[in-house]
Amino acid sequence: MKQIALYGKGGIGKSTTSANMSAALAEKGLDILQIGCDPKRDSTRMLMQGRFIPTVMDHVRAQGDADVRLEDIMFTGYRGVRCVEAGGPEPGVGCAGRGIIATFQILERLGALKGDIIVYDVLGDVVCGGFAMPMREGYAQEVYLVTSGELMSLYAANNICKAIKRLSLRAKNQCRLAGVICNSKNMEKEEELVLEFSRRINSRLIHFIPRDRTVQLAELHKKTVIEYAPDSPQAAVYRSLAGIVATNEQFTIPEPLDTDELESLAFEYI
Amino acid sequence: MSLNPSPLSTSRTGGCTLTGALAVTTGIKDSVTIIHGPSGCAHHNFSLLHATILDNDCMVIPSVISSAMSEYDVIFGGEEALLKVINETAAGNPGIIFVLSTCITETIGDDVLAVTRNAGVPVCMVPTGGFLGGDFETGFSHALIAVSNLANPMVKPGEYSRTDSRTVNLVGEKNLEYEVKENFLEIKRLLSLLDLAINLRFAHDISRSEIDRLPFASMNILREPALTAVGNHLQAAFGTPFINSFPLGISGTLSFIINVALVAGSPPEKALEAEKKYQEEVFKEFSDLRGARVRLKIPSGIQENLLIEEIFHKAGFIESPDGVLLPVPYPFPVGTNGMKRMLHLWRRALICRAV
Repeated sequence: MKQIALYGKGGIGKSTTSANMSAALAEKGLDILQIGCDPKRDSTRMLMQGRFIPTVMDHVRAQGDADVRLEDIMFTGYRGVRCVEAGGPEPGVGCAGRGIIATFQILERLGALKGDIIVYDVLGDVVCGGFAMPMREGYAQEVYLVTSGELMSLYAANNICKAIKRLSLRAKNQCRLAGVICNSKNMEKEEELVLEFSRRINSRLIHFIPRDRTVQLAELHKKTVIEYAPDSPQAAVYRSLAGIVATNEQFTIPEPLDTDELESLAFEYI
Repeated sequence: MSLNPSPLSTSRTGGCTLTGALAVTTGIKDSVTIIHGPSGCAHHNFSLLHATILDNDCMVIPSVISSAMSEYDVIFGGEEALLKVINETAAGNPGIIFVLSTCITETIGDDVLAVTRNAGVPVCMVPTGGFLGGDFETGFSHALIAVSNLANPMVKPGEYSRTDSRTVNLVGEKNLEYEVKENFLEIKRLLSLLDLAINLRFAHDISRSEIDRLPFASMNILREPALTAVGNHLQAAFGTPFINSFPLGISGTLSFIINVALVAGSPPEKALEAEKKYQEEVFKEFSDLRGARVRLKIPSGIQENLLIEEIFHKAGFIESPDGVLLPVPYPFPVGTNGMKRMLHLWRRALICRAV
């Protein structure tokens, strides 16, 4: 069983990438579980025909965690992809990070963490220990950074490298950086920049995803690109990404850059 | 005072801001204190308070309630749990409800102040998340300031504090110390030498309504200099001047009389004369100790080395490395009668050694 996590700046396209990748992997006949680890709860929506599925934390909020059943929190979407959303508190109250930890404990207790590949789609930044949970305790062993060529997006990716590096130093921790996915914003020299960034943090660019209108159209139709336009070039891109992720075995401990290095790197590719 | 008081090597200061604040709020007898956090925070502190109070031969159980936060409340926010406990507590119609926050509620950002403001009943909040820094004394000071703000808010600075009122507030008595009663009586005795009476023990065994008397004294006497921030606050709020410590040591007790007399606008001479005479009598009573070879065991944190030396020489001890070990109590004894109890303690130590 492979367990992968996608991290990156908010709005960079993690959920779109995760959902399309899960759909493409499911097409290959693999048993996929996608877990949205963000109180926004929209990670699996395109796999569920636009439905916001009840979250683990919704269930805990309504009934406590004692009698939660797998069928209350896990839903089957496109091509049998099993979908879970952690959910969390209302914006501005409580501790969403602790919600992620509680979700993992519940999923573990219910024996939900199984299948060929588990995809953890984690919120924008690793703001506290709770959001590093997918990287801890032997959950996701392969972390993919999703970034564009924008400085803020690279900055967020670089920050996540710090978390991976720190965790990888712990005994028995198997969390490694598995590669960088460039979700293009149509910038000049974007692929070159992200390629060089990946090299400098001791990783590699595993796929460049061009910006394509099909993605927006598919979203408006509440579907993944794989489902909405299966023969489109963009669908082929996601299938190619899925193929690489499914077989990738090159994992590294990242070397995060300091801010000056990162900024001067971005300057080189203006 | 026992021969070997247990706090000798275990300082009661340090610790958690929460415990410090509780030492104040539980001094208000018709109040209920809600500790907003996991039940353990309340249990731990309740046990400490209860044990200490029993040690002081008092059987009153402190009114402390926990909002008993669970993981659920941590994730979704504990404000509802707090409001529920406030409402349940309010049903019992206490004089005042205090709410103390804890590490976890400060961490997850519960807006405790907003909850208390919207509760519909009078609630006084003291932020006491231990990890925010500070110790027992910080919590103690913060709580005194918070409680002082309950006093009649219509009072303007200086409006009621008249030097001719001839009354004094005792501010920040250490409610958890063994000799809280003896120290109170000693201050009362010294003040009576200057014809001053006590207006309010703030906050020791008083009711909510008595807090309103806080602005009416002509001066505040703080338990110790660590409470200076409280003294400043009360001075700014009510215009009440303050003396920053209970009297310690021989000359310290005499200068206390002078300082209080100065603030009260009374002549100190008669009181000074009487106290000097009393001090002489006390030391005369212990003249059998003169020439004893002793050494002192001074607890860490004691700043009053000079005061001890003064008493040591006045009593006529001879310091020697192989002398009898004499314990110095912590906190340091208050006034002349405090010294008298310490001399009794030392005499017992010498007798035990001789036997």
